Amino acid sequence: MDEKKAAILGEIPRLRRYARSLLRDRDSADDLVQDCLERALVRLDNWQTGDSPRRWLFTIMHHLFIDQMRKVNRRGEAAMLPLEAREAQAAPAEQVESIASREIIDALQAISPDRRAALVMVAIEGFSYAEAANILGVPAGTLMSRIARGRDELRGLLDDAARRRAIRIVEK
Amino acid sequence: MTRRDFSERDIHMALDGELPVDERAAYDAWLEANPEMKARSVRYVADRAALRAAFAGVLDEPVPARLKKIVFDEAPVETAASSSRWWRAAAAAAMLAIGGVGGYVAGIDNLGLEDPAEDQLAEQAIAAHLIYAAEQRHAVEVPASDKDHLQTWLSNRVGLKLVAPDLAAQGFQLVGGRLLPAGESKAAMLLYEDAKGERISLFVTAESAEKTKGTYGSGEDGPEAIYWLDKGYGCAVVGSLPRAQLTAVAKSAYSQLIAGLAS
Repeated sequence: MDEKKAAILGEIPRLRRYARSLLRDRDSADDLVQDCLERALVRLDNWQTGDSPRRWLFTIMHHLFIDQMRKVNRRGEAAMLPLEAREAQAAPAEQVESIASREIIDALQAISPDRRAALVMVAIEGFSYAEAANILGVPAGTLMSRIARGRDELRGLLDDAARRRAIRIVEK
Repeated sequence: MTRRDFSERDIHMALDGELPVDERAAYDAWLEANPEMKARSVRYVADRAALRAAFAGVLDEPVPARLKKIVFDEAPVETAASSSRWWRAAAAAAMLAIGGVGGYVAGIDNLGLEDPAEDQLAEQAIAAHLIYAAEQRHAVEVPASDKDHLQTWLSNRVGLKLVAPDLAAQGFQLVGGRLLPAGESKAAMLLYEDAKGERISLFVTAESAEKTKGTYGSGEDGPEAIYWLDKGYGCAVVGSLPRAQLTAVAKSAYSQLIAGLAS
């Protein structure tokens, strides 16, 4: 097997993790990874030797993700939903998550896709600001602002969740 | 040691390993001297740990065979249908975004991804807001005291049955309105103000062929527009309010405008 394919294979676990943080559902996340790999292999020649395979693959996947989110946005799929709708969304059965993990995963899904991507890039995937800005195709200032707002929003949602939990306990 | 003023921005930089080494000691001292900032930093550190923990297991999962197969397959083909498979999950994710923020798509703002039509509407609305909301004496052509005339006049000019929404429940009173150019047609702008003098505006045009909605930001700190286009009209609510508050205003304005159009 050639070196390029070996390098791509080695990145799959990281791609899956990034996809999972963007989409939550395991099968959908793997579908996104599959699309990313298909596109990458068709365009192997675009990948310059010396360039990090990770950065190249993450860039491809991010574009796929944003393209889809844009279509969703345009189709107006996302009609107004009450807050409770989020809680009604059942977590996939096979995913065993602790309450804390589920809460933070829910909160992460609830922040806007561009902030989510920026935050995950840096906080989970460990890219530097320069690398993440490059992958997401935004200026460093925009990236920083998305990270800051994303963190703030995430914390606010976690506080809300904690409050709702407290209210429920009181009601019991 | 570098001396400078630190801010919340530095908390993120420090957390992400982007703070220059020679500023670290001064930053730590600043954090110690600012309990509120320190508490914030501690919360963010904990959130990051929780985020990492929540997804750590994914790296240990065996790579699904279908993914390996793509890499090993000799002749890769890009299938047009493939990208639609996870579309529904993306839709669900977008809906979750709404659940969280309590309004519209908490969208792909500042990415320059929107349709030209909605771009235009949002940009025109934001431009009008920036110009007229800042005017104290000449913000509107027809004041709220002449509301009936305002509604009739704008309805006739724009070509829609326009009813100025009552946003008192959200703390906003009508200041008045004006007529504006919008591309090749006309737009009505309705200006509202709260008790603190914070202003928002509604921008309504009769020109729209498509149906969509979303949010649009003019820049990192500028006002934001929540817009929707439906058959025959487009509307944007513009303001510099927190997203949740602007969303609440937009929801109320939306339902009242719809009711007005149908009346």
